Amino acid sequence: MLESRISRRSLLAGAAGASALLTLPRPAAPAVKKGTSLKLWILKTYVEPTNKAIEASAQRWAQKNGATVTVEYFTFEDMQTKYVAAIESNSTPDVGQLETSAPARFAGMGQLVDLTTFAGQIEGQVGKAPAAVRAVTMVGDKVYSLPWYVMGAFWYAWRDVFEKAKVKLPTTFEEAKQAASALNRPKDNFYGMGQSWNRTADGYGVMQSLMYSNGVGWAGKDGKYKSIKTPAMQNVMKWATDIYKEGIQPADTLTWTGSGNNENFIAKNIAQTSNGPSITFALENALAKATDAKDRKAKEEALANHVALPHPAGPDGRRMWAIAMSFGIFKTSKDPEAAMSLIAHLLSPEETVAVMKDSYGQFGPVLDKARAASKDYFNKNDNYRTFGRAAEWFAPTGWPGPTTAAAAEVQASNVLTDAPAKVIVDRWSVDQAIEWEDKKIKEIYDTLKG
Amino acid sequence: MTLALPQTVGIPVVRARASIWRRARTRESATALLFLLPLFVLVVALIGYPVYRAVWLSLTDKLVGYPERFVGLRNYAYLAQDDTFHAVVRNSLIFTVGSVGLKIVTGVLMALVLNNVIRGRNFFRGLFLLPWITSTVIIALTWRWMFDAFPGRGFFNSVLLDAGLLRRPIAFMATPEGAMMAVIVANWWRGFPFFGVSFLAGLASIPRELYEAASVDGASAWRRFWHITLPGLKHVMIVTTLLSFILTINDFNIVYVMTRGGPGTATQIFATYSYQVAFGQLRWGRGVTICLFVVPILVLGIVLISRYLLRDRK
Repeated sequence: MLESRISRRSLLAGAAGASALLTLPRPAAPAVKKGTSLKLWILKTYVEPTNKAIEASAQRWAQKNGATVTVEYFTFEDMQTKYVAAIESNSTPDVGQLETSAPARFAGMGQLVDLTTFAGQIEGQVGKAPAAVRAVTMVGDKVYSLPWYVMGAFWYAWRDVFEKAKVKLPTTFEEAKQAASALNRPKDNFYGMGQSWNRTADGYGVMQSLMYSNGVGWAGKDGKYKSIKTPAMQNVMKWATDIYKEGIQPADTLTWTGSGNNENFIAKNIAQTSNGPSITFALENALAKATDAKDRKAKEEALANHVALPHPAGPDGRRMWAIAMSFGIFKTSKDPEAAMSLIAHLLSPEETVAVMKDSYGQFGPVLDKARAASKDYFNKNDNYRTFGRAAEWFAPTGWPGPTTAAAAEVQASNVLTDAPAKVIVDRWSVDQAIEWEDKKIKEIYDTLKG
Repeated sequence: MTLALPQTVGIPVVRARASIWRRARTRESATALLFLLPLFVLVVALIGYPVYRAVWLSLTDKLVGYPERFVGLRNYAYLAQDDTFHAVVRNSLIFTVGSVGLKIVTGVLMALVLNNVIRGRNFFRGLFLLPWITSTVIIALTWRWMFDAFPGRGFFNSVLLDAGLLRRPIAFMATPEGAMMAVIVANWWRGFPFFGVSFLAGLASIPRELYEAASVDGASAWRRFWHITLPGLKHVMIVTTLLSFILTINDFNIVYVMTRGGPGTATQIFATYSYQVAFGQLRWGRGVTICLFVVPILVLGIVLISRYLLRDRK
């Protein structure tokens, strides 16, 4: 019964979406020679249908143009390793999906084709990305990649747990901490929060959201080093370490690797955590695989009770670090024209929406027309409405300045999360940790000249 | 009557023989060189060149995607002052000495037990080799799960809680000491069968008569172990320990999968820190230097042990 209701609704939504898409323009693409062969590298996420949808979209382009596209995947884990090896061995792909920091780093190495003119043409047809997202793709006034989507991290909470304890869902980091204290039940092995300062995006991503929302950036608007030895940074560090000192998190939170927060949240061991929409994907998927009526009921409840909120705000507003994915063309490409054609195809609103529909909310389109076309999809429920707004709150690595190679290295060097770990594990003072972090950041900027 | 050959005749004969001999030797040498050439090429290509490149890179400020620039010993000087690297050196030594020490003790125990097992010796030998042949990533994930703090998930916590020995779970890997203990245990578990099998082979080479004579003289089991078994295993033990020391100090998988070097930098070791610097920060010169720092320690160890073994042989 429920299934038939959902399927009818999906059908109507699909029909409405399809008719809307027919009116959308497809960006004009450079001509492609028959028999062209391209290599495309894309990110493989936990949401397998998204990976397949991107691959299928690329193959549609190949079929239409009598070309071939070889799709290769990289994961969050081996993204850097794979690109580094390819750059050093001169075997980069024609088109590569690039994460937030990659355009600045690779363009600085002279690896990427200048796409300024092409970007202008594309933007003229399918619109621009929000300024903060666009900034990720540029070095100076030149554009080196074209933004496609933002994969945001959100503040997940169990609504039923909050309601039962009559605690308000948090809108700020301070409220999140207070809620964690109110919901904490260590005797039952249930904790108010689970935020790890580990060496994954779950660690350094949230740390950046926390810093930027407190108005702390390690670079100025010009992208040059700026000291973080400020009272605002002390607030950041205090929040980051108090959540450990106050016992409102499981004792092993700091040791969680990539999936620790997902597992603990889904197992209802913690009341709140930050994560990408893969938690929603897991819960939706679990419901689809429910074995009997009892199991289905439990999974429906879990799905209904999990809330994805935007990352909490700080005294300086709400700024969410996220993974902004774009497409770049490598200079080793033998056919950059064909590569541009493939990118134009993938960025078209209809292809973007087709991929997005298989993403369980983790794929937030950024170009104007694709965003407009995705409104119905993100209207599914409150969680999806929040997912759909990821680009609005996006703050890039190195905020308030542009994402530079130095800013990217600060993130990659793990100093952002090692600093609170020094307070929590090595019993350093907050001031000592900030002093250490600031010194490390300055050192990076000094050697890379910003 | 015998005719004495004039000396002038003998000299050309000797010279001719010498010349033939030289030619033969030259031919032999050439053949030998020809046969050795592939090996020589392989050694240069697979060992010489990478070592040369590594040393050269450590003397440059090589960043991924940029050409290298010679900076002399700047990378070494930087690391000498880097507090994280100091922690890395300390962690690596604790991890290596702790793991290898445990492997020696359990390896000896395993060998002694298996040496006295008559029935099913091959079965047990195969069983004990399981950790050695299992994928390291699987081992690391399994031990991570075993040390997990959540009841119902972490093996040790579940057992201790169910047995009523704990009221609240222990977060084994949340402290620097606990995390180090966890990675040492995982590394030990993977490596002890190698020690056990090597020691078992060593035990087989100790003459039975020595034990019989000692027993007749009234030596206790402990004294037989101390004065016959251990000296008999000495050479095997030294070689095994040296090999394991080299493999353990360069280990990457177990630490990376279990802790990523955390919490903080509590389990960051040479290989994981080098990986972070080389592939995360894209500083290849510095990343290579981190690994090269360990080479003098290993070379010194190899030289000392080789000299010791050779002295014994003399």
